[in-house]
Amino acid sequence: MERRVKRGVAIYSYSGEYGRTMNLEDCFKDLRDMGATGIEILANSHIDSYPALTDEYVAEWMRLCTAYGVEPVEYGHWIDSRLYRNREISPQEAREKLVNDFQIAHRLGFRILRTKMGVINAELAPMENWREIIESVLPEAEKYDVVMCPEIHLTTVLSDRFVQDYVDFINETGTKNFGLNIDLSVFQNRFDVPGVVVFNPDCKHSQPEEIIPLLPYVKCIHAKFNKMDDDFNELTIPYPEILKILTDYGWEGYLLSEYEGEKKDVPGFVSHELRKQHVMMKRILGY
Amino acid sequence: MLEADVIQYRGFRNIERDGKAVGFQICVRSDYYRGVWLSQLRPGKVVVDGVTYPKEDVIWEINGKDHTVAELAEAGGEFWRITDVATLKIMKDGGLSQGFHDVSVRFAASCSYMPPFLDQFDEDGDDRSFNGGTYTRKNMIIV
Repeated sequence: MERRVKRGVAIYSYSGEYGRTMNLEDCFKDLRDMGATGIEILANSHIDSYPALTDEYVAEWMRLCTAYGVEPVEYGHWIDSRLYRNREISPQEAREKLVNDFQIAHRLGFRILRTKMGVINAELAPMENWREIIESVLPEAEKYDVVMCPEIHLTTVLSDRFVQDYVDFINETGTKNFGLNIDLSVFQNRFDVPGVVVFNPDCKHSQPEEIIPLLPYVKCIHAKFNKMDDDFNELTIPYPEILKILTDYGWEGYLLSEYEGEKKDVPGFVSHELRKQHVMMKRILGY
Repeated sequence: MLEADVIQYRGFRNIERDGKAVGFQICVRSDYYRGVWLSQLRPGKVVVDGVTYPKEDVIWEINGKDHTVAELAEAGGEFWRITDVATLKIMKDGGLSQGFHDVSVRFAASCSYMPPFLDQFDEDGDDRSFNGGTYTRKNMIIV
């Protein structure tokens, strides 16, 4: 069977333990146990010299990737539009930080960037000048061979206008350096399961088939999960339907696990939940 | 590795000059999953044994450099990593007395990817927001 859909982990999942009871190598050890072959790091969290990149970090990064058989998949970074209390950042200020992130990502071997933009409303629509900022760095994105992907995340639904705006931007500019990261939280249809952390119980959600027209633009998927049962089912997001669509339509890329449930700060808890989720994904994928 | 509590036991001591205690310091880790630019910090008050020190009385040492809260607000090019502590320094003649102290530190971080109406924090208040609040650790010891 062709294995186009691959499994990885966003080590954001370990944020309740990272730097306290787990270090970077512990994350890699977990990935190897799960047979996960790809990793997402957050620049602001997991690079201990950020916003600089030291030779020591690069050497250690390369050692870990080689030793544990893991490839760099996605590099999370931010456009902090409200960097200052009293004003929005200028496109030039955004550009300087973006280009720095491109250089770091490139040196660490990442091609896909999860570019988290500042938002202006409850639907998480991006700041109004996002086109200007993104267009201004497209030449550098091409130079460093990176693809910026805004993350489409609950409380957004796939039918929201700005999702189509991103697609239109890609088509109008013809750029290969902008795409989408779909977070599976957009399909979350249960908010009443004990152990699920809910900020907005009235949240809308998308149907799995709504992802189909977007698939050509989707570079990466956050395999968001909130609650696993002991039969290896996720209780809030329709994983079987979603993964069937991905395989049926021949989508190629990584599912990067992102745990968003309770007890993140209980040592070992997230590691255990991740293993359950990867059992589920292996069973559904058939490999 | 850092301690699980935001307020760390390690680093809590008096600040001495010429052999005399002139103040005290408290080390905190970030309670946010990502490091932030210093201008994104929302530094608040410190309370020790019921005595409130307003935010303007607190010096934040990050990456070996001292910042007033006014300076933090402009420091958009400097970064506080989640694996590093910030050392909060407060001048007080004689420092804190030997023995137990209950310590609270209030701060948060601004977060541009949350809706603006949620990205709010009252530095001088007592409520929690999604991105910060008042952290307390009791029975901290000055030796």
